[in-house]
Amino acid sequence: MPELSIILAGLSDAFTITNLFFVFLGVLLGQFVGAVPGIGPVMAMAIAIPFTFGLDALVAIGFLMGVNKGGLVGGAIPAILMNTPGTPDAAATALDGYPLAKQGRPLKATKMALYSSVTGDTFSDIVLITVSAPMAILALKMGPVEVLGLIILAFCVISGLIGNSITKGIIAAALGMLAATVGTDPQHATPRFYFGYFEIYDGLPLAAVAIGMLAISEILRRMAENTGVMRKGIEVCDTGNPADQRISWPEYWSCRFTLVRGTIIGTILGALPGIGSTAAAFMSYAGARQASKHPETFGKGNIQGIAASESANSAVMGANLIPLLTLGIPGSVGAALIISAFMIHGIQPGPLMFEKQGQLIYGLFGAMVMANVLNLIVGQVGMRFWIKVVSAPESVIFPSAILLCFVGVSLASGGISGIVIMLIFAVLGLVMNALGFSVVIFIIAFFLGPRLEESLSQTLALLNGNPWALLNYPIALALVVLAAVVLFSTQRKRGR
Amino acid sequence: MIQKRKFFKTIAGALAGIAMFGAAPVLAEDWKPSGPLVIEIGFGAGGSTDVIGRIVANTIKEQTGWNVIAENKPGGGGMAMFTAIANKPADNLTVGLGVNMPVMINLVNRPDEVKFNLDSFAYLGTAAGAQVALVARGDAPFDDLEGMIAYTKAQGGLAIASDAKPQVLTMQQVAAQAGTEFQFLSTKSSAEIIKLLLGGQALVGFATGTHLEYLESGELKMIASANRTRHGYAPDTPTLIDEGYDVYVDPWFYFAMSADTDPEAQTAIAAALAKALATDDVKSAVRNALSVEVVNLGPEPTKQMLVDGIENVKILFGK
Repeated sequence: MPELSIILAGLSDAFTITNLFFVFLGVLLGQFVGAVPGIGPVMAMAIAIPFTFGLDALVAIGFLMGVNKGGLVGGAIPAILMNTPGTPDAAATALDGYPLAKQGRPLKATKMALYSSVTGDTFSDIVLITVSAPMAILALKMGPVEVLGLIILAFCVISGLIGNSITKGIIAAALGMLAATVGTDPQHATPRFYFGYFEIYDGLPLAAVAIGMLAISEILRRMAENTGVMRKGIEVCDTGNPADQRISWPEYWSCRFTLVRGTIIGTILGALPGIGSTAAAFMSYAGARQASKHPETFGKGNIQGIAASESANSAVMGANLIPLLTLGIPGSVGAALIISAFMIHGIQPGPLMFEKQGQLIYGLFGAMVMANVLNLIVGQVGMRFWIKVVSAPESVIFPSAILLCFVGVSLASGGISGIVIMLIFAVLGLVMNALGFSVVIFIIAFFLGPRLEESLSQTLALLNGNPWALLNYPIALALVVLAAVVLFSTQRKRGR
Repeated sequence: MIQKRKFFKTIAGALAGIAMFGAAPVLAEDWKPSGPLVIEIGFGAGGSTDVIGRIVANTIKEQTGWNVIAENKPGGGGMAMFTAIANKPADNLTVGLGVNMPVMINLVNRPDEVKFNLDSFAYLGTAAGAQVALVARGDAPFDDLEGMIAYTKAQGGLAIASDAKPQVLTMQQVAAQAGTEFQFLSTKSSAEIIKLLLGGQALVGFATGTHLEYLESGELKMIASANRTRHGYAPDTPTLIDEGYDVYVDPWFYFAMSADTDPEAQTAIAAALAKALATDDVKSAVRNALSVEVVNLGPEPTKQMLVDGIENVKILFGK
């Protein structure tokens, strides 16, 4: 822990008008690009980095943190208002957010997402600021075997979302896993299913697959449903009851357990590099549904579903900074970009960072707190703005959204090849939807597949052919036992 | 001996390159791009290559006034990007930034599938060479390669964390020659390797710069340099070659354009690139991203580096 004078100096560096302006700008930009289907905060950060070259390190990184945090809030908007999540983690928000918006209560849904996101984010920031060192040690102890146990647990928890037909759920998951095997295998680097196209040599780009299956296929489906009648993108019901367009304190408070669960899941998974916010969002969502006395209301506009997903995926980001600041290990692409920004400004993240750059780190913490408050303020105004935008006729909204998806995927996945992959998966999404297979299960399996495979191959190398060596990994064994219990209880509930 | 000759050839080439750049600015002033100059980065956003590409693009823009854009073209460690550059008509505007190892591995192992060869490009220069170190946890019961091999034999195996196939092949050759066997923990990044080492899941691993602070803190120690030469920060630590194993890995970050690019454009862009690489901003970013200094070999030596590298990769893959 640095001296108090360094902490105070860092915080006073943070709370300046210049910083406030750039963090505000970042949050505004982040919420905007997060809300635009296709581009997303990660790409926005990559594009914004060169513009920060001329800025001071703290101002630059504060700005990028603003973009990232704003993006977390903004990402829920297309998921809720149009059922077109731009990232797989926001897909969990769409499960209840979109039905609520369709019932004419989009502002209620987006506000719940905003409050949950800021709650999750703030909590994980507090963990980062106060106990990052012990959390980093804990994260270090989670090796490949423990991560494998955790991923198996994630699969078992998420299996609760498999839907009515287990067969169809398993087929969707198997297809997702199959798509995840494209690219080099993690153990021997042997290319698989790349058919001579080096664009997919490292695997199918997640952005192209996710946007194709989740956003483009949904837009195409709704365009196909169009009967020629000019419809608005979303109808806001004017019931005259203000409660339909806001979240009251009792409503927020009723979600407290869900928010705490989501935040804890997000913080733990965020502190472990590489597992990511998608697993966190869906584990939290499935957990909330499992714990609910009325699981049948989930998927039909239950605010608990939004709270679960948004608190978890936002909590991942703050916790991602734990391995970044303490060990120099990025937990996600967003965190890798923050490391890039540090490097460009001549700072090497790593174990000696608190010692060498204590003032900057506490300045960054100050900027993060500022970003959270600004997120709440900008979000209040922004949500109304986006609802107005989406209230435009579908004939304007859908083509614009498709165009933006094309631009975003082209930027993130390296041009035309990304767009082709996006379109192929859009068609696959449409077919799967039409036949009653869950696209969301496909995406989760696609996202977790490579992580499962990598940790499995590392585990096998560590065990070196001796299964009894597993007994040396009690945490991993406990996680697998927990996974079995979860699976059993989920199936028992299903049987009822 | 051959290694030494190659090394001197590279240095001589580098000097020739530097001499050429002395005369180049005149041409650079004459030539101007007809549109935005695009630096295509062969990897995704975030990471060392991305940092280098973006800061170089920005610096060239500031110094020349040209419109320079950095774009990510991920896929196969630069293979997708270089394939596209080699197979489209030269536009005098597209520069690729990639790493030599993935390109050389595919040229050696999949010559029929790769739609280019080394002659498909005009080489502009290099940003730096990565220093690949074999490191062990500070509390490992050995301090050098010999000790590590003895320990492996005594334990009946040793898990080594790596993030690239050539590293695995290098150690497989060491194992074969020493009459032992290693297991490999394949990861996606150097940072992940450090995590495995610090977390106690692996005792030995490869690192490309991320280990320097831990050497300082004593949490890690360096066993050998996996490059052809020793590392500047650890002149007393031998290379694998010094230890009697004739294997090495030498990753380089390099810039290339289509071979059909107008020679005047090649010279002007190579000169602009060299000028950008000589700035403090770029030097500092490269130092932070890779923990090495900028080394721009210049056009011809960059090509020679790839030609020599191919021979080494053939040895690694037993071709």
